Amino acid sequence: MFYLSKIEHTLPLPAPQLARPIQEAIHTQLEKLFLDKVIANLGLCVSVYDIKSIEGGFIYPGEGAPTYTVVFNLIMFRPFVGEIMTAKLLSSDADGLRLSLGFFDDIYVPLQHLPSPNEFKAESTKSTKGTWYWNYDEQSFPIDDSDVIKFRIQNVTYPSIPLEQPKESKPFAPMLVTGSIDYDGLGPVSWWPGQEQDAEEGEEAQEEEEAAAEE
Amino acid sequence: MKILEANNGALTNFEVLDFLRAKGASRDPTRVLAKVAQSEYKVYDYLVDTAACDQTRESINEFLKSVKSYDLAKAEILNLINMRPANIVEIFPIIESCDTRFSDEELTEIVEIVKKTFPPPPEESKPEDANSAEETKSSGEEGGEPMERS
Repeated sequence: MFYLSKIEHTLPLPAPQLARPIQEAIHTQLEKLFLDKVIANLGLCVSVYDIKSIEGGFIYPGEGAPTYTVVFNLIMFRPFVGEIMTAKLLSSDADGLRLSLGFFDDIYVPLQHLPSPNEFKAESTKSTKGTWYWNYDEQSFPIDDSDVIKFRIQNVTYPSIPLEQPKESKPFAPMLVTGSIDYDGLGPVSWWPGQEQDAEEGEEAQEEEEAAAEE
Repeated sequence: MKILEANNGALTNFEVLDFLRAKGASRDPTRVLAKVAQSEYKVYDYLVDTAACDQTRESINEFLKSVKSYDLAKAEILNLINMRPANIVEIFPIIESCDTRFSDEELTEIVEIVKKTFPPPPEESKPEDANSAEETKSSGEEGGEPMERS
């Protein structure tokens, strides 16, 4: 899920930063540059891990700041294909589910990766939003936001920045994760209470929940 | 910007959480004072709710030692540490084609190792917390009633 990536970058250090120790100043500058940004094929930058080396410090003609070449490690969020992760449901519509990790929201579970046989019930005839149900053993299990959802990474893509975006389209996402919950053990964690005794506990818990809901 | 090494080592959830904790991230409300960015707090908030929250370096090393005898890929071990599967059905999606590579006994053994080395996730202790929260709530209400009457 998280990787270290070694990167070399040449950056000017603004003059007001020069009063601070160089390591600290460059660290702040790197955080400003990379934190919470997606680098294509590397993933989403979570944090600056360490600074390996700082070189240079030349002031180029016409510039009011020294330029340094820095080698550093970044912590990148980059899920690998086949990895299992947990996330919360953000929204669900006729196309599938959208999940969120809290810090990353562009995870989609398309229709074909939902457990089958499945069924979609829209909230109302007008809205596109609704809830997906997994019909298993003549029982239907809802996929709602009451539980964390386990999913498998199917694909990670880095779409290139579009030159022109059509109006009223979704905001551009630089990193798209496609997930799948069509496998044993995947989906809302409450679906898989585990062994027999756990299953009983799970049923009890469900009954309790139902009782609580009735109240 | 030049990418020298795209993959300079994988980190477990615990290591990232440990790094953020070392930086000063915590759950207390004074978080504005720490030198931690908003985006880092979002990652922190996600990770403290996962199994990584009470793992330690020692428990991970112990786990790595004890699963050495099984033929697991590095990514699978990483995923096992991050997910902490507590029963076989949870281990199923993590290990690729595990029904052909491992027997049921071996899988049970792996689950046992996971359970032994890593403490149970906070979810299992949650019902108690919820009860105590309800208790405090109800006691608070009781405390509030006489005041309303007076």
